[in-house]
Amino acid sequence: MGAIEQLMAEAPRFFTFWNMVFLGQAALNTLWVSLLGCFIGYVMGFVIATARLAEIVPPVILRSVFIGWTEAIRRIPFLVLLMCVFFGFQLSGANQSLFVIAVTAVALRMSALAAENIRAGYEAVHRRQWEAAAALNIPPLQALFRIILPQAWKVILPPSTIHTVSMIKETSLVSQIGFLELTFAARMLNQRGFSALICFGTILILYFVISWSFASLGRYAERRLVTDARRRARSPSTR
Amino acid sequence: MQLQYGQVLGYLPDFLVGAAVALVIALVAFALGLLIGLVGASTLAYGSRTAKILVRMYVSFFANTPQLVQIFFLFFALPEFGIMLTPVQAVLIGMTLNAGAYLTEIQRAGFQSLPQAEIDAAETLGFTRVQTIRHVIAPHIIKALYPSLSNHYIIMTLGTSMAAIFGVEELTARALNANAISFRSIEIFSMTALIYIGLTIIASTILYTFGRLVFRVKARAF
Repeated sequence: MGAIEQLMAEAPRFFTFWNMVFLGQAALNTLWVSLLGCFIGYVMGFVIATARLAEIVPPVILRSVFIGWTEAIRRIPFLVLLMCVFFGFQLSGANQSLFVIAVTAVALRMSALAAENIRAGYEAVHRRQWEAAAALNIPPLQALFRIILPQAWKVILPPSTIHTVSMIKETSLVSQIGFLELTFAARMLNQRGFSALICFGTILILYFVISWSFASLGRYAERRLVTDARRRARSPSTR
Repeated sequence: MQLQYGQVLGYLPDFLVGAAVALVIALVAFALGLLIGLVGASTLAYGSRTAKILVRMYVSFFANTPQLVQIFFLFFALPEFGIMLTPVQAVLIGMTLNAGAYLTEIQRAGFQSLPQAEIDAAETLGFTRVQTIRHVIAPHIIKALYPSLSNHYIIMTLGTSMAAIFGVEELTARALNANAISFRSIEIFSMTALIYIGLTIIASTILYTFGRLVFRVKARAF
């Protein structure tokens, strides 16, 4: 195993303070792009999913536009979507930074995933809740915010952390347009002469730590929500 | 700035071949991943303690790191151990290992959904073991698994686009090449996006119809 010995010899040269600062900044860039993109995407997804509700937007034609949007975006690979955004900005003449392009691509992709997720949350709430609200003469938007969403968010929240994790992983493709995130940083270090084993091995571990902590957070939230719901079901007086 | 699709339409036949390559890569990786997943899921159900821990480590490692970096690692780091992979091999092995992790999870969930009562009922009715598997277990598991499996195949078809980065001549790679020649960037990539949308809609429809007719799976198509 010559490679292991080589790795050991290389490690002190690789794990220097400045290399770690470089990788840390790249990790922050990865996090920042994916979290900001996910946040914007979730806001867009909320609007799209809400606009798909017959109670909010009655005309079928308007709704089908939003259905078409979610279906289409979900079926474009992230790399191709990224290229479309990249060259779309170029075409419009807007000179945007790579950061803006990356966040836009993440947000667009997330808007479709979030819309599907939020729609599932809406569908988990029984239709009669809408009918009851209508019977009580509560306007649709008010019914949405005060009746449907308080029940739906428990279904929406757990998958949203899974989506965030998947976006953290997908941002590795953003390295292709030259944005300095973890994957791009590893390729740069690789080109500076460090072995691929140590560069890609290190960022694999970094990605794992980041994704795994988000996924654990999601599992924790899910457990909390489920036990809370059970506790409440057992003692209805607390509600 | 004007959009000119006329020049780009000439690439369409070339792109469609690329789309077929994408489908084939996804199919091979999916089939092999299904086998890994079957082994993984059975290990999680019946394996020893150590084997279970190993499978869990495999699944959580591959599910929590980007597929692109996994393939980078295979492609650039394995040569240091003396293992040289061609781009197609690296992409196929990477996608297979990645799919294996996800399909382990999916199949585990499918096995868990099997109610013990149905197996007991089959035994009470005097079914032999083969008959129980043929008439009770298999239909149940296929019905439970089919929608998530076909969904994962679609996700993998989209995932093949990252093979372009390693120079595998599938749809995205052909789009990048055409872009480098013609500079009709937005036209090429919007056309590529449309092909991917059409491709996966056709694949979804075929998978849905097949599941409906053969296994009587009652799930939503889209």
